[in-house]
Amino acid sequence: MNTKQRILEAAIRLFNVDGVANVRLQQIADETGISVGNLAYHFKNKEAIVTAVYEMLFDEFSQILSSYLLGPNLTEFDRQLMLYHSFFSKYRFYLIDLFEIERSYPAIIDRWHQFVRKMLMQIRKRLDYNVQRGILLQEPISGIYDTLTNNIWMTITFWMPQQVLKGEPVSESLFKDAVWAQISPYFTLKGLDEFAAEVRPLDLHN
Amino acid sequence: MKPVFSLAPEVYGQMLDRLSSLFFTDKLGFEPDMNFYRDDQWLSDTAVIDQLNCRRGTWEISLLFAHYKTPMKFISRRIAANTCPKKAGTMAFYMRRLAAKDQRGTLKVDIADMNLTMN
Repeated sequence: MNTKQRILEAAIRLFNVDGVANVRLQQIADETGISVGNLAYHFKNKEAIVTAVYEMLFDEFSQILSSYLLGPNLTEFDRQLMLYHSFFSKYRFYLIDLFEIERSYPAIIDRWHQFVRKMLMQIRKRLDYNVQRGILLQEPISGIYDTLTNNIWMTITFWMPQQVLKGEPVSESLFKDAVWAQISPYFTLKGLDEFAAEVRPLDLHN
Repeated sequence: MKPVFSLAPEVYGQMLDRLSSLFFTDKLGFEPDMNFYRDDQWLSDTAVIDQLNCRRGTWEISLLFAHYKTPMKFISRRIAANTCPKKAGTMAFYMRRLAAKDQRGTLKVDIADMNLTMN
């Protein structure tokens, strides 16, 4: 890993603990194990570091969104959830600094909006595809799948902070369970079979 | 931030629809799906002869493929038909050359390989 990448990884660690606004260049330099002068050689100011961190973040987010290419079925969605969990764990500061970023870095918040729209659209298209396959029920009430899409998105994006607020454990399997719990009431019998066979066995005693 | 290419939301939605519909028509293949290729692979090690048969006013061109080592393993396939016998002959000649692994015809079936008994 070169110095620039080490600086960015150190910045992410510090942002996750203290938030973007509270981290100083000296702290990032100390965490990386270099001098502030050396840091300034790579990134002239804190804004440059924040911009570079968010470039990394959006690159990784793009990779996750592009995993839709692998398929819109249940197995591939489960795989995408694993990627989302890993992503939101790594970039936990996104929530701490949501309003700070909106105020100080409007270009970044615009990009966030674009990605969130894509995420919502992908979730909705997955639901439509699985209805066509007979895995999910037809929309029982008009517009309910739009609400479900929003709920799934909120679960994916905000599940971790709400677990922390409740003092409850954070793990990938609990995260996935929370998302699948939104969708499973709409499974057909075929959907239940496929879910049990390909994604995870259902607890049939509940 | 560096500028990025972005699609209009409606266009992105249409792209996702097309991707989803691909998964209805283009399913992931499995290893047994390639059996059709493996089952016919022996045809590449065959001696080929052409046959012309007059049937219902047309000259039918058939190719007979016989494995050059085990000639009792053979197959005859009707390829094409033509009303003119001369044209049918020409078609048969070129189709045989195309189908045969050895176009010069040196790959021949040996009668000894047939293991015929004279009893």
